[in-house]
Amino acid sequence: MNQSFQITLDGQTVTAHTGETVFDVAKREGVSIPSLCHDSRLEPAGACRVCLVEVAGQRRLQPGCAWVVTPDMQIETQTDRIQRHRTVLYNLYMADHEIDDAGLPVETGNENQLRKLCQSVPSMGLTPIQAPRSGRPLDDNPYIKFEPDLCILCARCTRYCDEVEAVNAITLANRGSETTIATAGQRSLMETTCELCGGCIDTCPTGALIEKKAPSNLVQLGEIESFRSTCNFCGVGCQLNLHVQNDRVVKVTSPPPGDTLNDGNLCIKGRFAYDFIHHQDRITEPLIRDKNGQLQPATWEQAIAATANGLNAVREKHGPDALGFISSSRCTGEENYLMQKLARAAFGTNNIHQCAAT
Amino acid sequence: MTNSIDEIRDTDMMFVIGSNTTEAHPIIAMEMKRARQRGAKLVVADPRKIWLAEMADLHLQLKPGTDVWLLSAMANVIISENLYDQAFIEKHTTDFDHVVEKVKSYTPEEAEKITGVPAEDIRTAARWYATTKHAGIYYTLGITEHTHGTDNVYCLANLVLMTGHLGVKSAGMNPLRGQNNVQGANDAGATPVYYPGYQKVTDVSVKSKFETAWGVGLSAHDGLNLNEMMKEMAKGNLKAVYVMGEDIVISEPNVTKVETGLNRCEFVVCQEIFHNETTRFADVILPGACFAEKDGVFTNSDRRIQRVRKAVDPPGKARPDWRILCDIARTSGYAMPNYLSTEEVFAEFASLTPQIKGISYQRLEATPAGLQWPCPDENHPGTPTLHLDGPMVGTAPFQAVDYRPSAELPDNDYPLVLSTGRTLYHYNSATQTRRDAGPATKQRGNFIEINLRDAKRLGIQHGNRVEVASRRGTICAEAWISPRVRVGCIWMPMHFAENRANLLTNDAGDSVTGTGEYKVCAVKVRAVEALPNAPANALLETR
Repeated sequence: MNQSFQITLDGQTVTAHTGETVFDVAKREGVSIPSLCHDSRLEPAGACRVCLVEVAGQRRLQPGCAWVVTPDMQIETQTDRIQRHRTVLYNLYMADHEIDDAGLPVETGNENQLRKLCQSVPSMGLTPIQAPRSGRPLDDNPYIKFEPDLCILCARCTRYCDEVEAVNAITLANRGSETTIATAGQRSLMETTCELCGGCIDTCPTGALIEKKAPSNLVQLGEIESFRSTCNFCGVGCQLNLHVQNDRVVKVTSPPPGDTLNDGNLCIKGRFAYDFIHHQDRITEPLIRDKNGQLQPATWEQAIAATANGLNAVREKHGPDALGFISSSRCTGEENYLMQKLARAAFGTNNIHQCAAT
Repeated sequence: MTNSIDEIRDTDMMFVIGSNTTEAHPIIAMEMKRARQRGAKLVVADPRKIWLAEMADLHLQLKPGTDVWLLSAMANVIISENLYDQAFIEKHTTDFDHVVEKVKSYTPEEAEKITGVPAEDIRTAARWYATTKHAGIYYTLGITEHTHGTDNVYCLANLVLMTGHLGVKSAGMNPLRGQNNVQGANDAGATPVYYPGYQKVTDVSVKSKFETAWGVGLSAHDGLNLNEMMKEMAKGNLKAVYVMGEDIVISEPNVTKVETGLNRCEFVVCQEIFHNETTRFADVILPGACFAEKDGVFTNSDRRIQRVRKAVDPPGKARPDWRILCDIARTSGYAMPNYLSTEEVFAEFASLTPQIKGISYQRLEATPAGLQWPCPDENHPGTPTLHLDGPMVGTAPFQAVDYRPSAELPDNDYPLVLSTGRTLYHYNSATQTRRDAGPATKQRGNFIEINLRDAKRLGIQHGNRVEVASRRGTICAEAWISPRVRVGCIWMPMHFAENRANLLTNDAGDSVTGTGEYKVCAVKVRAVEALPNAPANALLETR
């Protein structure tokens, strides 16, 4: 039963619905609660403890991502007690995290959300923990690198791998300070069920999972240019952001979950198979075959004229239906429109099709 | 798709047939996994035990090419057990009685003999499908790439109509489109029988509408579809081809015939981003731009028009394809307008296409999730789910169809059935994906999946190099012994230029669409040598 009722959030009376968490209500009301382990695509885990809130009648602070609201519940999100908790928590995270010269968590190619949070609290100067946590330095997969010293064990990556991609290639392993993100037998991802979708990189809040082939300093570069586009592989139509540096696509990401049909997800092809764009094998100039059967470079004027003349000659000799136009379902709608217009209006034939049937 | 991709997560039953969704449409498969985790039922009909079949409540492992029997038997169950939606049928359809009569003889017991699927499983699937309100059908080329592909689709449509699963959220009839813009290419009129927006070329009033718009007289008769073009080319009747962005010498069935045709052509133009098998035959090669280098729109499986935006310049002298096409039209003597941008091209396309008339670049900028057609005017919000108020055009006729065997069945000379398909790691002719380390390492070359029993009989071990031959050609591949395939069947991907699956496949086409029979042809297999470095992860368990 989906019922509406009132709760009190930071002193304000607001409406909530059966089954909603504190996060759901706060988001709707514009109340910001920090979090590291939450991802809208995953079941709440309550693992990072960053989102703890005060619930009237509860002795302990409770995780806003997982705490389901009930009628008349009173919730505080910004009390001194919560602030004290966060100061200690962030300092504990820092003690177990690689720190840069500024005394803050290191940032790799991905944004490190912990870094931002730590800037909001005073340093307690805790002794570094030096956890004996192992990565997979010999993992030879071409795309995904795991940096254990940047990991906060929120398990977003392993939960994504389980709940969304459902391949369970990575898992939490070991106990205590040795706990790490591992594969079975610490094998390379290439030898697991991993499909290299890269969703683990996308969901990691601290940049502990790193895209190997993207520049390592993308975040530090600040406002790198990014272009929203649509994936050019299958017919799902996933939305992409193409990140560009020096007129080269250097990284592909999905827009955040929620706004697009792919909901933040991509597959191996959409996220990683972009090397073809700048590949040395691209055809970079028009070519015309000479009398000896060899392809020779030509100017655009020559190539366009050769094409128009070749097609016109066949039309004059054999009629328009001796011509065939094969358009491409890989090209844009406008290009397909123009190709069929070329066949029909310029050459007078309906012999126009594309790879719809292959 | 009649319905939208994001509706899948709320469905209560999925009937997936002829679609290896986790590999061919991974992100749609994520929605299916999400629905499955919520408790939705999943029935998979596929000759292979694909991954979705592993997570399904029921896997109907039919013999390739027997879909009409399976689906007619499901209709038989729904009718004989009175599970059909009488009110929907009366209000929105015609000719139900034809189907009632036709499927009488398609009993589950008879179907079991032909399809190999237990009669009780057929009954269960039919009952689940008919009695679940939010039950959707999802299919792709496993349904259409047969000489009876259209019949297969009719059978699915019959199931949708008799159960009233049309115009219902998270239900419907959902072909998952293969390429990024195959929907858009058809919408834009890159088809021999339709102008943009599925307006018939043989309709006189439509023809005069386009003659006025384009300022030129137009042909009054249907053109040739791709399958027919390839055949006419081989016969020497089609004398010139202009091929843009497609490697027909890999992707068409029975490619030996395609090569013969290209050799007979007087003139061949290829517009491409990479040299491929087809450019070997080109007289002129025009370097085009890839998706990251130009503006435009793609239309996805759920009829969603989304923007493609230029991020980088094309390499060297390469140019956006739309500009090349315009130049050729003008140089040929046709006064193609001097479009300054793809936005102007789109505006002309939309003005002539009722389904997308209300869509503009301006609106697409404001709606990042895209707009789904039909969208007939500028205030229309687009249409995520089709037929919500009953069939959009009149009533829907049922189609009674008879089973016809595939064009080429196994015999003593070619005793195995070959089906071809796609894998997660490569994309079609793989000129793009084989140039990236991940896909290239995951799958280096061509392979077949073969059942352990067939492999033993033929003396083939996992990792052996084998020769696969059909009446049309012979290629080599690596043998993967796999419990995924049925005894008597092998499977092979179509991606690898050096060992082209389509040297083997049959170009017999569907009578309506011309789609080739990629999913069924007769082959023989023999081991030629053991490969020294066969992968160790042999799937030696047999079922």
